[in-house]
Amino acid sequence: MFIGWATPSAATRRGVLFGGIAAALGAAGIAGTLAATQGPPGDGAWDQSAVRDWDGLLVRAPYPMLRTRALGEGVRTAFLGGSGKLSVAGRLPAGLDGPVTVRASLIARGDHAMLAAVDDDAWIRPAAAQGDDLAFPAPVDLGEAALQGEILDAKCWFGAMRPGYGKTHKACAALCARGRLPLAFCQTGACITGGEAPLFLDADGAPHTRAILPLVADPVLARGRLVQVGDVLQFRVAPDAIVRL
Amino acid sequence: MAAGYRIVTWTPYKALYDGALALGCTAFVGAFIGVALATTPEGQRLSEVQLLIRASGACAFALLTLILAIGPLARLSPRFLPLLYNRRHLGVTCFLIASVHGGLTLLWYHGFSDLNPLISLLVSNPRYGSIQGFPFESLGLAAWFVLFAMAATSHDFWNAVLGPAVWKALHMAVYVAYALIVGHVMLGAVQGEKGLVYSLAVGAGAAALAALHIFAGGREARRDADAATPDAGWLRVGPGADIPDACARIVTPPQGEKIAVFRDGDAIFAVSNVCRHQGGPLGEGRLVDGCVTCPWHGFQYRPQDGRAPAPYTEKIATYRTRVEDGIVFVHETPMAPGAETPPSTLARPA
Ligand code: HEM
Ligand code: FES
Repeated sequence: MFIGWATPSAATRRGVLFGGIAAALGAAGIAGTLAATQGPPGDGAWDQSAVRDWDGLLVRAPYPMLRTRALGEGVRTAFLGGSGKLSVAGRLPAGLDGPVTVRASLIARGDHAMLAAVDDDAWIRPAAAQGDDLAFPAPVDLGEAALQGEILDAKCWFGAMRPGYGKTHKACAALCARGRLPLAFCQTGACITGGEAPLFLDADGAPHTRAILPLVADPVLARGRLVQVGDVLQFRVAPDAIVRL
Repeated sequence: MAAGYRIVTWTPYKALYDGALALGCTAFVGAFIGVALATTPEGQRLSEVQLLIRASGACAFALLTLILAIGPLARLSPRFLPLLYNRRHLGVTCFLIASVHGGLTLLWYHGFSDLNPLISLLVSNPRYGSIQGFPFESLGLAAWFVLFAMAATSHDFWNAVLGPAVWKALHMAVYVAYALIVGHVMLGAVQGEKGLVYSLAVGAGAAALAALHIFAGGREARRDADAATPDAGWLRVGPGADIPDACARIVTPPQGEKIAVFRDGDAIFAVSNVCRHQGGPLGEGRLVDGCVTCPWHGFQYRPQDGRAPAPYTEKIATYRTRVEDGIVFVHETPMAPGAETPPSTLARPA
């Protein structure tokens, strides 16, 4: 007979010992099985400690971007982001344009890149001219497209969160969208494996307003146009051409 | 007792129990993180915080399932009684692990912006009308509040202030918390990228719990049906010789508290099964130094009048008993708590 407050009998002690070991093994088994079902979050990466200077050409619209040769393979485009879920748009010095140096760490996934600016005011400063070919070439309209997938916040999906897509990430994506970080669009299936995630803009090529928030991270069908601007693929969609699936 | 509650201090058994608990939780979280890291390709690891969010959520849920299984298991076999004792430690641990989970979620998914994380939690997804899009976080938050209320009132002080009945009712809300968390996982993680294994694990856990409760309840109902006789309120307990010496058989009357029928040698006594301390099951305890002794924290009552030995002042109800041909009966109507009720005597086998 068991009496809790009494000194446990040898049998009880043995029971707890073996029961405890069995429970620990069982717990480890269950936990391991659950853990093994975690899909890989993709190969996005962000080393926050690797802060350095990046030279390039500042482009303010539709989102703050840096056209730069520092990412290798000719001229590439990196979005500019703040340290948290906030855009750097509010921290861009008025009147600053053209060649700049940015102090930031790199968030990269495949060919997608974002520079996370350091928090202090000196994150961006004017630089010497670096040649004309840094400017965006003229946009090329690739025609209409109807894509099924998910509206993402680029920062998380590029590597700030792992994983950074799907329902469990919706609240976070909505905060990034509120903070005016760039939105991207991944097609169903490709959200996990990577591939191309075009920049997601409204029909005029401008950022979406907060009206888009409820749709972020939900499965949607979006009809619009694909437009290539340099190395950046844009998916331009009017808000009323997005249907939740 | 003047203070209203008795301090129950650290006992050797508690140390063992808590050691096993810590071992189990460590094994769970460790295995979760270890296996997740080992099975995802290099360069494609989940971020540490997100891994910890998942491991702690799953651990808290597993612990809650275990907590709910202990009640019916202990009713089915006294072998599980050691688990029942100090179940509160499991509950508080579950609350703490769930708090790590919720806190990290709040920080990671709802922090780092200019919106208050708590507001973000409540407004980031307003789709309460949808199953597919349901904001599963709010279910987790509601469950967390229930676990909080239970953990905060788990101390005996609250049991004394609220009274055992209110306390027990409050702690039955654990079933509400469990249902909320099943929803939280099904509408969250399961709808997310990891479908089948998670839904099977949650479904199997919930089904096993339901089956255990139904089985244990059914067995008691059958015993009670045997006990009911048309004989004006007298309930059949069974052959007196079947009650182990210094132990009890528990009977459920049609109304009121369960009754613990004790045998002390030839003498048969019956008292309420409900301990005045925290509602512990007296009939699962035994007679120690001639007193009914609660298996939970050792409160004692004299079997003949239900009074705690001096200097304590608790009283429980006694019940009349009678023996016919070696079969023990108990009357379903309690005597006033503390009323002296003479034992009946088992005839010695000739
Ligand atoms: C404070 C309120 C809570 C919030 C805001 C919350 C939020 C979340 C979030 C965002 C996820 C998805 C994590 C991911 O997949 O990356 C999740 C998963 C989960 N939560 Fe909670 N939760 C809360 C409370 C709870 C409680 C009280 C429990 C259980 C006792 C619990 C159990 C779980 C489980 C088992 C999962 C699935 C684990 C996984 O994703 O692998 N949650 N929760
Ligand atoms: S419930 Fe604590 S001693 Fe009985």
